[in-house]
Amino acid sequence: MFKKTLALCVSLAAMNAYAVDTPIIGQVESKCVVTTDKQGVYGNPSASILSTDAADGGVEPVVRFDVVLAEAYKAVIAHPISFSQSPQLNDVVNWTGSTSVEAVSDAGMSAYDTSKVEYDNVTEVDLDIAGSTWFKVSSEADYGFNKALPGGTYTAIVEANCIAL
Amino acid sequence: MAALLVCLPSYSYSEQVFGTTTNAASSGYNWVMSNVLPQATGLTVSNVIYRYTTVKDPDDPMLVHVSNENPIDGGYTFRSTDDWTGIPGNTINRVIPISQIPIEYWGDGSIEWEGKGRVDDPFVVYTYQYDTCYDPQADPDCPGYKPEIPDIPPVPDVADPINDQFVQDELDREMMLRDEDEEEKQRAKLADAEEEEEDVDLETVLGIVGRSLQGAEDTAKHNQVMALSQFSQQYFQQLPDGVIEDTVVLKDSRLPRNNRGRRLQFAQDLLHDKLVKSQYRGEQ
Repeated sequence: MFKKTLALCVSLAAMNAYAVDTPIIGQVESKCVVTTDKQGVYGNPSASILSTDAADGGVEPVVRFDVVLAEAYKAVIAHPISFSQSPQLNDVVNWTGSTSVEAVSDAGMSAYDTSKVEYDNVTEVDLDIAGSTWFKVSSEADYGFNKALPGGTYTAIVEANCIAL
Repeated sequence: MAALLVCLPSYSYSEQVFGTTTNAASSGYNWVMSNVLPQATGLTVSNVIYRYTTVKDPDDPMLVHVSNENPIDGGYTFRSTDDWTGIPGNTINRVIPISQIPIEYWGDGSIEWEGKGRVDDPFVVYTYQYDTCYDPQADPDCPGYKPEIPDIPPVPDVADPINDQFVQDELDREMMLRDEDEEEKQRAKLADAEEEEEDVDLETVLGIVGRSLQGAEDTAKHNQVMALSQFSQQYFQQLPDGVIEDTVVLKDSRLPRNNRGRRLQFAQDLLHDKLVKSQYRGEQ
Protein backbone atom coordinates (compact mmCIF):
# COMPACT_ATOMS: atom_id res chain seq x y z
CA MET A 1 0.00 0.00 0.00
CA PHE A 2 2.77 2.46 0.81
CA LYS A 3 4.59 1.68 -2.36
CA LYS A 4 1.52 2.55 -4.53
CA THR A 5 1.02 5.82 -2.80
CA LEU A 6 4.59 6.87 -3.40
CA ALA A 7 4.37 5.96 -7.04
CA LEU A 8 1.32 8.20 -7.42
CA CYS A 9 3.11 11.16 -5.86
CA VAL A 10 6.02 10.87 -8.27
CA SER A 11 3.67 10.68 -11.16
CA LEU A 12 1.86 13.86 -10.10
CA ALA A 13 5.14 15.77 -9.81
CA ALA A 14 6.09 14.79 -13.34
CA MET A 15 2.79 16.05 -14.73
CA ASN A 16 3.17 19.44 -13.02
CA ALA A 17 5.78 20.76 -15.59
CA TYR A 18 5.78 24.55 -16.45
CA ALA A 19 4.41 25.89 -19.78
CA VAL A 20 4.60 29.43 -21.23
CA ASP A 21 2.53 30.93 -24.01
CA THR A 22 4.48 33.72 -25.73
CA PRO A 23 2.30 36.05 -27.82
CA ILE A 24 3.46 37.73 -30.99
CA ILE A 25 1.72 41.05 -31.53
CA GLY A 26 1.56 42.79 -34.86
CA GLN A 27 -0.12 46.05 -35.72
CA VAL A 28 -1.30 46.57 -39.29
CA GLU A 29 -2.20 50.09 -40.29
CA SER A 30 -4.23 50.59 -43.40
CA LYS A 31 -2.27 51.79 -46.40
CA CYS A 32 -5.49 53.14 -47.90
CA VAL A 33 -7.42 56.00 -46.35
CA VAL A 34 -10.80 57.28 -47.54
CA THR A 35 -11.76 60.83 -46.64
CA THR A 36 -14.71 63.02 -47.48
CA ASP A 37 -13.21 66.10 -49.06
CA LYS A 38 -16.44 67.87 -49.87
CA GLN A 39 -19.96 67.36 -48.56
CA GLY A 40 -22.65 67.03 -51.22
CA VAL A 41 -25.78 69.11 -51.43
CA TYR A 42 -28.97 68.42 -53.32
CA GLY A 43 -30.41 71.19 -55.35
CA ASN A 44 -34.11 71.28 -56.16
CA PRO A 45 -34.42 72.59 -59.72
CA SER A 46 -37.97 71.37 -60.06
CA ALA A 47 -40.64 70.09 -57.70
CA SER A 48 -39.93 66.46 -58.43
CA ILE A 49 -36.11 66.51 -58.76
CA LEU A 50 -33.21 66.58 -56.36
CA SER A 51 -29.84 66.90 -58.03
CA THR A 52 -26.21 67.47 -57.06
CA ASP A 53 -25.44 69.08 -60.42
CA ALA A 54 -24.05 72.57 -60.01
CA ALA A 55 -26.41 73.78 -62.72
CA ASP A 56 -29.29 72.59 -60.56
CA GLY A 57 -27.97 74.37 -57.48
CA GLY A 58 -26.39 71.31 -56.01
CA VAL A 59 -22.88 70.38 -54.96
CA GLU A 60 -21.24 67.11 -55.94
CA PRO A 61 -19.59 65.32 -53.04
CA VAL A 62 -15.89 64.51 -53.37
CA VAL A 63 -14.20 61.50 -51.81
CA ARG A 64 -10.44 61.18 -51.62
CA PHE A 65 -8.57 57.90 -51.64
CA ASP A 66 -4.99 58.05 -50.31
CA VAL A 67 -3.03 54.95 -51.22
CA VAL A 68 0.49 54.30 -49.98
CA LEU A 69 0.96 51.03 -51.86
CA ALA A 70 0.42 50.83 -55.60
CA GLU A 71 -1.65 47.99 -57.08
CA ALA A 72 -2.84 46.82 -53.68
CA TYR A 73 -6.32 48.31 -53.38
CA LYS A 74 -9.41 49.13 -55.33
CA ALA A 75 -11.91 51.89 -54.75
CA VAL A 76 -15.55 50.82 -54.66
CA ILE A 77 -17.95 53.73 -54.71
CA ALA A 78 -21.72 53.44 -54.76
CA HIS A 79 -23.91 56.41 -55.55
CA PRO A 80 -27.23 56.52 -53.65
CA ILE A 81 -30.31 54.54 -54.62
CA SER A 82 -32.35 55.44 -51.58
CA PHE A 83 -32.75 58.20 -49.04
CA SER A 84 -31.42 57.53 -45.58
CA GLN A 85 -33.67 60.25 -44.30
CA SER A 86 -36.72 61.80 -45.94
CA PRO A 87 -40.38 62.55 -45.40
CA GLN A 88 -42.71 59.73 -46.10
CA LEU A 89 -42.80 59.04 -49.82
CA ASN A 90 -45.74 57.34 -51.43
CA ASP A 91 -44.34 57.02 -54.90
CA VAL A 92 -41.28 55.61 -56.60
CA VAL A 93 -38.01 57.47 -56.74
CA ASN A 94 -35.91 57.01 -59.87
CA TRP A 95 -32.22 57.27 -59.09
CA THR A 96 -29.38 58.09 -61.46
CA GLY A 97 -25.77 58.84 -60.70
CA SER A 98 -22.16 58.38 -61.64
CA THR A 99 -18.65 58.45 -60.24
CA SER A 100 -15.66 60.02 -61.98
CA VAL A 101 -12.14 61.12 -61.21
CA GLU A 102 -12.12 64.77 -60.23
CA ALA A 103 -8.45 65.25 -59.51
CA VAL A 104 -5.27 63.21 -59.20
CA SER A 105 -1.89 63.49 -57.56
CA ASP A 106 -0.23 61.71 -60.46
CA ALA A 107 -1.03 62.23 -64.10
CA GLY A 108 -1.23 58.49 -64.65
CA MET A 109 -4.28 58.29 -62.37
CA SER A 110 -6.23 60.12 -65.00
CA ALA A 111 -6.53 56.76 -66.72
CA TYR A 112 -8.76 55.53 -63.87
CA ASP A 113 -11.68 57.15 -65.61
CA THR A 114 -11.25 54.94 -68.64
CA SER A 115 -10.37 51.79 -66.77
CA LYS A 116 -13.15 51.95 -64.18
CA VAL A 117 -15.78 49.24 -64.01
CA GLU A 118 -19.43 50.22 -63.50
CA TYR A 119 -22.32 48.02 -62.58
CA ASP A 120 -25.64 48.86 -60.95
CA ASN A 121 -24.92 51.92 -58.84
CA VAL A 122 -21.33 50.86 -58.15
CA THR A 123 -18.07 52.04 -59.68
CA GLU A 124 -14.88 50.09 -59.09
CA VAL A 125 -11.45 51.49 -59.78
CA ASP A 126 -8.17 49.67 -59.35
CA LEU A 127 -5.78 52.03 -57.60
CA ASP A 128 -2.66 51.16 -59.57
CA ILE A 129 -0.63 54.22 -58.58
CA ALA A 130 0.35 55.31 -55.10
CA GLY A 131 -0.97 58.72 -54.19
CA SER A 132 -4.26 60.53 -53.82
CA THR A 133 -7.25 60.34 -56.10
CA TRP A 134 -10.31 62.52 -55.76
CA PHE A 135 -13.59 61.02 -56.96
CA LYS A 136 -16.68 63.11 -57.44
CA VAL A 137 -20.11 61.55 -57.30
CA SER A 138 -23.18 62.88 -58.98
CA SER A 139 -26.66 61.89 -57.88
CA GLU A 140 -30.18 62.69 -59.04
CA ALA A 141 -33.51 61.62 -57.59
CA ASP A 142 -36.63 61.93 -59.73
CA TYR A 143 -39.83 61.44 -57.78
CA GLY A 144 -42.80 59.71 -59.37
CA PHE A 145 -43.93 61.04 -62.69
CA ASN A 146 -43.36 64.74 -62.31
CA LYS A 147 -44.71 64.43 -58.81
CA ALA A 148 -43.81 67.05 -56.26
CA LEU A 149 -41.57 65.88 -53.47
CA PRO A 150 -43.03 66.44 -50.05
CA GLY A 151 -41.38 69.14 -48.00
CA GLY A 152 -38.69 68.10 -45.56
CA THR A 153 -35.07 67.13 -45.27
CA TYR A 154 -33.65 64.57 -47.67
CA THR A 155 -30.44 62.78 -47.00
CA ALA A 156 -28.73 60.17 -49.14
CA ILE A 157 -25.45 58.34 -48.53
CA VAL A 158 -22.56 57.75 -50.91
CA GLU A 159 -20.76 54.61 -49.90
CA ALA A 160 -17.03 54.60 -50.61
CA ASN A 161 -14.85 51.62 -49.70
CA CYS A 162 -11.22 50.81 -50.16
CA ILE A 163 -10.84 47.08 -50.64
CA ALA A 164 -7.56 45.20 -50.64
CA LEU A 165 -6.93 43.27 -53.84
CA MET B 1 12.04 87.08 -4.57
CA ALA B 2 15.56 87.73 -5.82
CA ALA B 3 15.94 84.07 -6.74
CA LEU B 4 12.67 84.25 -8.64
CA LEU B 5 13.86 87.27 -10.58
CA VAL B 6 17.10 85.50 -11.44
CA CYS B 7 15.17 82.50 -12.69
CA LEU B 8 12.89 84.55 -14.94
CA PRO B 9 13.66 84.07 -18.64
CA SER B 10 15.32 86.93 -20.44
CA TYR B 11 13.45 88.95 -23.03
CA SER B 12 15.59 87.69 -25.91
CA TYR B 13 13.64 85.44 -28.23
CA SER B 14 13.95 83.53 -31.48
CA GLU B 15 10.83 82.62 -33.41
CA GLN B 16 10.27 80.13 -36.21
CA VAL B 17 7.86 81.51 -38.78
CA PHE B 18 5.96 79.07 -41.02
CA GLY B 19 3.99 80.30 -43.97
CA THR B 20 2.47 79.66 -47.37
CA THR B 21 2.70 81.95 -50.35
CA THR B 22 -0.18 83.11 -52.43
CA ASN B 23 -0.79 81.53 -55.84
CA ALA B 24 2.41 82.22 -57.76
CA ALA B 25 0.67 81.46 -61.06
CA SER B 26 -2.27 83.75 -60.46
CA SER B 27 -1.18 86.13 -63.19
CA GLY B 28 0.25 83.70 -65.72
CA TYR B 29 2.43 80.73 -66.42
CA ASN B 30 5.65 82.53 -65.37
CA TRP B 31 6.42 84.21 -62.08
CA VAL B 32 9.26 86.03 -60.33
CA MET B 33 10.11 84.42 -57.02
CA SER B 34 11.19 87.66 -55.35
CA ASN B 35 7.54 88.72 -55.70
CA VAL B 36 6.29 85.45 -54.27
CA LEU B 37 8.51 84.55 -51.30
CA PRO B 38 9.02 86.97 -48.43
CA GLN B 39 12.58 88.30 -48.54
CA ALA B 40 13.60 87.04 -45.10
CA THR B 41 17.17 86.06 -44.29
CA GLY B 42 17.54 82.33 -43.74
CA LEU B 43 14.21 81.46 -45.37
CA THR B 44 13.93 77.91 -46.67
CA VAL B 45 11.23 76.32 -48.83
CA SER B 46 9.65 73.14 -47.44
CA ASN B 47 7.04 72.15 -50.05
CA VAL B 48 5.82 72.99 -53.50
CA ILE B 49 2.09 72.48 -53.91
CA TYR B 50 0.59 72.80 -57.36
CA ARG B 51 -2.62 72.12 -59.15
CA TYR B 52 -3.68 72.55 -62.74
CA THR B 53 -6.12 71.05 -65.19
CA THR B 54 -5.14 69.66 -68.54
CA VAL B 55 -7.51 69.84 -71.46
CA LYS B 56 -6.49 67.38 -74.13
CA ASP B 57 -7.41 64.48 -76.33
CA PRO B 58 -6.63 61.21 -74.50
CA ASP B 59 -4.54 59.97 -77.43
CA ASP B 60 -2.37 63.08 -77.70
CA PRO B 61 1.08 63.25 -76.17
CA MET B 62 1.54 65.91 -73.54
CA LEU B 63 4.16 66.72 -70.91
CA VAL B 64 3.68 69.43 -68.32
CA HIS B 65 6.64 70.87 -66.40
CA VAL B 66 6.42 72.90 -63.23
CA SER B 67 9.83 74.33 -62.45
CA ASN B 68 12.00 76.92 -60.76
CA GLU B 69 15.34 78.01 -62.10
CA ASN B 70 18.53 77.83 -60.07
CA PRO B 71 20.13 81.28 -60.24
CA ILE B 72 23.32 80.14 -58.47
CA ASP B 73 24.35 76.87 -60.09
CA GLY B 74 22.24 77.10 -63.24
CA GLY B 75 19.64 74.55 -64.32
CA TYR B 76 16.65 74.00 -62.09
CA THR B 77 16.20 73.99 -58.33
CA PHE B 78 12.82 72.37 -58.70
CA ARG B 79 11.29 70.61 -61.72
CA SER B 80 8.32 68.29 -61.74
CA THR B 81 7.07 66.73 -64.95
CA ASP B 82 3.67 65.10 -65.44
CA ASP B 83 3.22 62.84 -68.43
CA TRP B 84 -0.32 63.03 -69.78
CA THR B 85 0.45 61.07 -72.92
CA GLY B 86 -2.30 58.59 -73.83
CA ILE B 87 -4.59 59.51 -70.96
CA PRO B 88 -7.44 61.95 -70.71
CA GLY B 89 -6.90 65.37 -69.26
CA ASN B 90 -7.72 65.94 -65.64
CA THR B 91 -6.94 68.07 -62.64
CA ILE B 92 -3.78 67.22 -60.82
CA ASN B 93 -3.01 68.07 -57.23
CA ARG B 94 0.54 67.53 -56.05
CA VAL B 95 2.40 68.23 -52.85
CA ILE B 96 6.13 67.83 -53.33
CA PRO B 97 8.30 67.98 -50.21
CA ILE B 98 11.53 69.94 -50.57
CA SER B 99 14.46 69.45 -48.27
CA GLN B 100 14.63 73.00 -46.92
CA ILE B 101 16.29 74.65 -49.89
CA PRO B 102 17.42 78.23 -49.09
CA ILE B 103 15.69 81.18 -50.72
CA GLU B 104 18.71 82.20 -52.79
CA TYR B 105 18.40 79.01 -54.84
CA TRP B 106 14.85 79.80 -55.94
CA GLY B 107 14.85 81.53 -59.27
CA ASP B 108 11.93 82.40 -61.51
CA GLY B 109 9.20 79.79 -61.82
CA SER B 110 7.07 78.58 -64.68
CA ILE B 111 4.53 76.04 -65.95
CA GLU B 112 5.40 74.85 -69.45
CA TRP B 113 3.98 72.08 -71.58
CA GLU B 114 4.96 70.12 -74.64
CA GLY B 115 2.62 68.38 -77.05
CA LYS B 116 -1.02 69.01 -77.82
CA GLY B 117 -3.44 70.34 -75.27
CA ARG B 118 -3.44 73.16 -72.78
CA VAL B 119 -3.13 73.84 -69.08
CA ASP B 120 -5.93 75.66 -67.28
CA ASP B 121 -6.29 77.13 -63.82
CA PRO B 122 -2.68 76.83 -62.68
CA PHE B 123 -2.19 77.09 -58.94
CA VAL B 124 1.29 76.98 -57.39
CA VAL B 125 2.12 77.78 -53.78
CA TYR B 126 5.25 77.33 -51.69
CA THR B 127 5.40 76.58 -48.01
CA TYR B 128 8.37 78.11 -46.24
CA GLN B 129 9.89 78.71 -42.85
CA TYR B 130 12.50 80.99 -41.34
CA ASP B 131 13.97 82.01 -38.01
CA THR B 132 13.38 85.64 -37.10
CA CYS B 133 16.80 85.60 -35.43
CA TYR B 134 18.66 83.78 -38.19
CA ASP B 135 20.82 86.89 -38.25
CA PRO B 136 21.21 87.85 -34.56
CA GLN B 137 21.99 91.41 -35.62
CA ALA B 138 18.52 91.75 -37.16
CA ASP B 139 16.97 92.58 -33.80
CA PRO B 140 18.48 93.71 -30.49
CA ASP B 141 16.16 91.21 -28.78
CA CYS B 142 17.74 88.28 -30.61
CA PRO B 143 20.02 86.00 -28.61
CA GLY B 144 23.62 86.60 -29.61
CA TYR B 145 23.01 90.21 -30.64
CA LYS B 146 26.13 92.33 -30.45
CA PRO B 147 26.01 96.13 -30.57
CA GLU B 148 27.33 97.54 -33.81
CA ILE B 149 30.88 98.84 -33.72
CA PRO B 150 31.59 101.29 -36.54
CA ASP B 151 34.22 100.23 -38.99
CA ILE B 152 37.41 102.21 -38.62
CA PRO B 153 38.90 102.76 -42.06
CA PRO B 154 42.40 101.38 -42.35
CA VAL B 155 45.17 103.95 -42.15
CA PRO B 156 46.92 104.20 -45.50
CA ASP B 157 50.53 103.13 -45.52
CA VAL B 158 52.54 106.32 -45.38
CA ALA B 159 56.28 106.25 -45.89
CA ASP B 160 57.76 107.61 -42.70
CA PRO B 161 60.67 109.93 -43.59
CA ILE B 162 62.24 109.07 -40.27
CA ASN B 163 62.80 105.57 -41.55
CA ASP B 164 65.08 106.91 -44.28
CA GLN B 165 68.66 106.07 -43.44
CA PHE B 166 70.09 109.42 -44.52
CA VAL B 167 67.53 111.39 -42.49
CA GLN B 168 68.10 109.07 -39.58
CA ASP B 169 71.85 109.66 -39.72
CA GLU B 170 71.30 113.40 -39.86
CA LEU B 171 68.93 113.29 -36.92
CA ASP B 172 71.38 111.16 -34.96
CA ARG B 173 74.09 113.65 -35.65
CA GLU B 174 71.89 116.56 -34.58
CA MET B 175 70.88 114.71 -31.47
CA MET B 176 74.51 114.00 -30.73
CA LEU B 177 75.37 117.69 -31.07
CA ARG B 178 72.42 118.64 -28.96
CA ASP B 179 73.38 116.05 -26.40
CA GLU B 180 76.89 117.43 -26.33
CA ASP B 181 75.55 120.95 -25.84
CA GLU B 182 73.21 119.75 -23.20
CA GLU B 183 75.96 117.81 -21.56
CA GLU B 184 78.19 120.83 -21.55
CA LYS B 185 75.45 122.99 -20.14
CA GLN B 186 74.74 120.38 -17.53
CA ARG B 187 78.38 120.15 -16.69
CA ALA B 188 78.65 123.94 -16.37
CA LYS B 189 75.53 124.03 -14.30
CA LEU B 190 76.85 121.26 -12.10
CA ALA B 191 80.17 123.07 -11.72
CA ASP B 192 78.40 126.29 -10.81
CA ALA B 193 76.28 124.47 -8.35
CA GLU B 194 79.32 122.77 -6.80
CA GLU B 195 81.18 126.07 -6.66
CA GLU B 196 78.23 127.76 -5.09
CA GLU B 197 77.95 124.91 -2.66
CA GLU B 198 81.64 125.19 -1.88
CA ASP B 199 81.31 128.97 -1.45
CA VAL B 200 78.40 128.53 0.79
CA ASP B 201 80.25 125.91 2.76
CA LEU B 202 83.38 128.04 3.03
CA GLU B 203 81.44 131.05 4.08
CA THR B 204 79.65 128.99 6.66
CA VAL B 205 82.88 127.56 7.95
CA LEU B 206 84.55 130.92 7.92
CA GLY B 207 81.59 132.36 9.66
CA ILE B 208 81.81 129.74 12.33
CA VAL B 209 85.57 129.95 12.55
CA GLY B 210 85.49 133.68 12.35
CA ARG B 211 83.15 133.86 15.18
CA SER B 212 85.38 131.60 17.24
CA LEU B 213 88.80 132.91 16.32
CA GLN B 214 88.28 136.54 15.64
CA GLY B 215 88.88 137.26 19.10
CA ALA B 216 90.51 140.05 20.91
CA GLU B 217 93.96 138.61 20.33
CA ASP B 218 93.69 138.88 16.56
CA THR B 219 92.38 142.36 16.78
CA ALA B 220 95.27 143.33 18.94
CA LYS B 221 97.77 141.84 16.49
CA HIS B 222 96.15 143.67 13.66
CA ASN B 223 96.37 146.91 15.48
CA GLN B 224 100.07 146.30 16.22
CA VAL B 225 100.84 145.67 12.61
CA MET B 226 99.01 148.71 11.53
CA ALA B 227 100.92 150.74 14.08
CA LEU B 228 104.24 149.86 12.46
CA SER B 229 105.08 152.72 10.16
CA GLN B 230 108.23 151.37 8.43
CA PHE B 231 106.08 149.94 5.70
CA SER B 232 105.64 152.63 2.96
CA GLN B 233 102.17 153.16 1.83
CA GLN B 234 103.23 153.69 -1.88
CA TYR B 235 105.69 152.02 -4.28
CA PHE B 236 107.59 153.87 -7.07
CA GLN B 237 109.43 152.29 -10.04
CA GLN B 238 111.01 154.20 -12.88
CA LEU B 239 110.46 152.91 -16.43
CA PRO B 240 113.32 153.49 -18.90
CA ASP B 241 112.64 156.02 -21.71
CA GLY B 242 113.14 155.17 -25.47
CA VAL B 243 111.56 153.60 -28.52
CA ILE B 244 111.03 149.98 -28.72
CA GLU B 245 111.43 148.92 -32.34
CA ASP B 246 109.79 145.97 -34.07
CA THR B 247 112.27 143.26 -34.54
CA VAL B 248 110.32 141.26 -37.16
CA VAL B 249 110.40 142.58 -40.70
CA LEU B 250 108.26 141.04 -43.43
CA LYS B 251 109.66 141.01 -46.92
CA ASP B 252 107.44 142.13 -49.78
CA SER B 253 106.39 139.24 -51.96
CA ARG B 254 103.29 137.66 -53.48
CA LEU B 255 101.12 135.74 -51.05
CA PRO B 256 99.75 132.48 -52.54
CA ARG B 257 96.03 131.65 -52.29
CA ASN B 258 95.26 129.53 -49.32
CA ASN B 259 92.90 127.03 -50.96
CA ARG B 260 92.92 124.79 -47.96
CA GLY B 261 91.87 127.63 -45.76
CA ARG B 262 89.21 128.62 -48.24
CA ARG B 263 87.78 125.11 -48.28
CA LEU B 264 87.84 125.05 -44.52
CA GLN B 265 86.07 128.41 -44.46
CA PHE B 266 83.37 127.16 -46.85
CA ALA B 267 82.95 123.99 -44.92
CA GLN B 268 82.59 125.95 -41.70
CA ASP B 269 80.09 128.27 -43.36
CA LEU B 270 78.04 125.32 -44.57
CA LEU B 271 78.21 123.71 -41.20
CA HIS B 272 77.19 126.95 -39.58
CA ASP B 273 74.22 127.33 -41.93
CA LYS B 274 73.22 123.79 -41.29
CA LEU B 275 73.43 124.27 -37.57
CA VAL B 276 71.37 127.44 -37.74
CA LYS B 277 68.73 125.73 -39.86
CA SER B 278 68.68 122.68 -37.65
CA GLN B 279 67.84 124.94 -34.73
CA TYR B 280 64.72 126.13 -36.49
CA ARG B 281 63.80 122.60 -37.45
CA GLY B 282 64.27 121.56 -33.88
CA GLU B 283 61.91 124.30 -32.73
CA GLN B 284 59.15 122.99 -34.99
